[in-house]
Amino acid sequence: MSEAQEQGGGAEADFDLTQFYQIFFEEAGENLDQMEQMLLVLNLQTADDEDLNGIFRCAHSVKGGAATFGFADVAELTHQMESLLDRLRRHEIEPSPAMVDVLLAAADVSRSLLARHQAGGIGEVPPTADLVARIGSLANGGDVAAERSTGTDAAQTVLAGSSADQVVTDTSDHETKAQTGLRVLEVVVGPLKDMAPAEAIRELFRDIPELGSIEDLASDQADVRKFTVRTSTVTAELLDLFEFHVSRSQLTITEVRPTISLGELSHGHDPVAPETTAGFGFFEGAPGAPDSNSVQAPVRPLSASALAKQADKAPLPLAQIEAATIRVSISKVDQLINLVGELVITQAMLAQNSRALDAADYQKMLAGMADLERNTRDLQESVMSIRMIPMSVVFSRFPRMLRDLASKLGKKVDFVTLGESTELDKGLVEKITDPLTHLVRNSCDHGVEMPEERRRAGKPETGTITLSAAHQGGSIVIEVRDDGRGMSREKILSKARQRGLEVPDQMTDSEVWQLIFAPGFSTAEVVTDVSGRGVGMDVVKRNITALNGTVEIDSAEGYGMKVSVRLPLTLAIMDGMSVGVGKEVYMLPLSSVIESFQLKVDAINTVGHESQLVKVRDEYMPVVELARVFQVPRHDRDRPSDIMVVIEAEGSRVALLVDDLLGQQQVVVKNLESNYRKVPNVSGATILGDGKVALILDTVALVRRSRH
Amino acid sequence: MSSNELAAGTLPVPAEAREYLTFRLDSEEYGIDILKVQEIRGYEAPTRIAHAPLFVKGVFNLRGTIVPIVDLRLKFNCPKADYDASTVVIVLKLPRRVVGIVVDSVSDVLTLPPEYLKPAPEIDTVIDSDAVMGLGLLKDRMLILLDIDRLMSGAGMALVSEPPT
Repeated sequence: MSEAQEQGGGAEADFDLTQFYQIFFEEAGENLDQMEQMLLVLNLQTADDEDLNGIFRCAHSVKGGAATFGFADVAELTHQMESLLDRLRRHEIEPSPAMVDVLLAAADVSRSLLARHQAGGIGEVPPTADLVARIGSLANGGDVAAERSTGTDAAQTVLAGSSADQVVTDTSDHETKAQTGLRVLEVVVGPLKDMAPAEAIRELFRDIPELGSIEDLASDQADVRKFTVRTSTVTAELLDLFEFHVSRSQLTITEVRPTISLGELSHGHDPVAPETTAGFGFFEGAPGAPDSNSVQAPVRPLSASALAKQADKAPLPLAQIEAATIRVSISKVDQLINLVGELVITQAMLAQNSRALDAADYQKMLAGMADLERNTRDLQESVMSIRMIPMSVVFSRFPRMLRDLASKLGKKVDFVTLGESTELDKGLVEKITDPLTHLVRNSCDHGVEMPEERRRAGKPETGTITLSAAHQGGSIVIEVRDDGRGMSREKILSKARQRGLEVPDQMTDSEVWQLIFAPGFSTAEVVTDVSGRGVGMDVVKRNITALNGTVEIDSAEGYGMKVSVRLPLTLAIMDGMSVGVGKEVYMLPLSSVIESFQLKVDAINTVGHESQLVKVRDEYMPVVELARVFQVPRHDRDRPSDIMVVIEAEGSRVALLVDDLLGQQQVVVKNLESNYRKVPNVSGATILGDGKVALILDTVALVRRSRH
Repeated sequence: MSSNELAAGTLPVPAEAREYLTFRLDSEEYGIDILKVQEIRGYEAPTRIAHAPLFVKGVFNLRGTIVPIVDLRLKFNCPKADYDASTVVIVLKLPRRVVGIVVDSVSDVLTLPPEYLKPAPEIDTVIDSDAVMGLGLLKDRMLILLDIDRLMSGAGMALVSEPPT
């Protein structure tokens, strides 16, 4: 399963993987910080459940994340912490100062471990065995007093009140002696069509000076690059690192010279030298730390400032999680988006006004206008992208869930994800997670068959569930696909009839599939605790519709099923269709517009001289006259409204009577209630190109209105 | 009436001199706390809101924010309310919302020490009586000082959604 996941990730751009991890590193860092804070203020005598639970949750989150992302060392350590904390919060053991110490030390080591992973796995691994053993012994009710007297140097350091950082320094010192020396490797990259990835490897060495040095080596083939690398990093880690850019099959690493002894090093001028003793020197250290290692630092061909930086870093072996991002409140971002939206409108207005100018006379100004237009557009795109986060945030939840689910059900499932780097508005990502979880569970539970059933059907025993995301025009399409048994048209139809739904036999397949979105509908033969209680698809559909999205199903019995969810890229922007009523403009969400047509004379029938119905093909639909709903003044107009726009909401359709179809455009959705109040039949407002406000129609309310 | 009685009153009469923005509605002159004023701008036709009271002219776009606009002249039953190039909108920044009010004209900014303030007599007007902070007495003018916050959030303004019943 993990392989399948990697496959999906590998197909995307390189930065995807790092981005994938980045959120975890940040969250884990925050959790560890929080845990440390809570541990520090924890009063052992009066520790209440809430405190202990809080600390437990922090450890638990870090562990969960680490396990999901495959950082086994972090997961192992935090698992031990979690076990200890679990016993504490259950009051099976009494909290003691030794526990706090050891937990703090463990948090620090976790942080270094994480930082090491964040840096791509280079640098030495802080030892955890000792800590794990100590936590374990405390968790098993080990004698605290004995722990103190027999404790390691590290524990004593902590008890002596020095900073927890020191603990790791002490323990890691033992380890550094075992550090391997510098090696000279020949790296062959290729054959490659494009030499950019090889360049990227070169840049790796520039970006991470601790990695060692790299030099070009003459290559006899045009599509192959050779490098000489001096490094102390083990080959496997180098390979891991290079793989970000070049696939492993195109990499050959051979050792040219055996390990150089440390003695030799001190005469040399290789930047790696101090690192071999300093361990985690490549991370930003706190300034002002004791500079004990600087004497060892050999003269190297680096600028003075780099040298100072290096020396500054060296003495602090504790890695810190690097913050490559800043957290900003959403409201600030939204304000920025608003302002840029306004700028775009102003720019459009200027452009319109300057269009009539003579190009010869106003050449400079018109050139400036063109620049302004381009810059504004770029600015808008950049600002909008702040709110965008990759789908991987959602996708990453599934491998583990599916694994557990599959083993619970006794099924074999491969999980493949595609297009994880596809970006989506943060608000949407949060809201799409639950419906997607449901769809994926459904696929595993109802879609993929048991292994023997699959074998009998001539399919591989292992089923495949594919989750993919891709941009299509202004929307994102997320597909959940499985190669399971698919849906049976007959079963759905008979089930629908059982439930008293009217279903003609000549319904098209896609209409039949839509039936499973009816409330309480489930075609699962067995009701399991996973899904199949009939409260699934209707909720999925409702949630997605609420996001202005649509759901489509495609299925072939025996071959599998595909659910496609189409969503707008952001909640703040909507595809709208503007309609004119009298002199006013109203906006309809394009996702709910089915069709529009010109009304033929006398096509409207009235019922009881009040309600109007229009016949669209074979269906009578209620007519909603927008001019009446919104009391639009229509003095100078003789022509009655004669354009019908059919909209659908909550499964019903109504025909809106309007005067004009003005066009389709993307609009920024604004809240009307932030300064005003809820307006009936209106879901929000937007600003048109001319700066005027247009109200966005609430299709659900309009459809409901026609019902009574 | 002594100043003691004033201070003991229920009206939020400030103890220090405050600055007021004064504006005219027909022949009456009103004053509002200058700190509530965000900006003053010309009137442009807003987008009409169906089923809103007549004095709610609609909503307009204030640099990306949708702001409702109330014509105080209609609300206060002024005999005429024309919209021309000199019609002025005062954009108010209230604690929870931004609202525009249409007035005939903005006069000036006055600093009124507390001794110039008098509580308003109990009279029957279209203005919610608790929205009148008091009267500002100048040599030859009388200012009606409005608690604009209270006025705009009152039920009579229909600007706030009614709590669900």
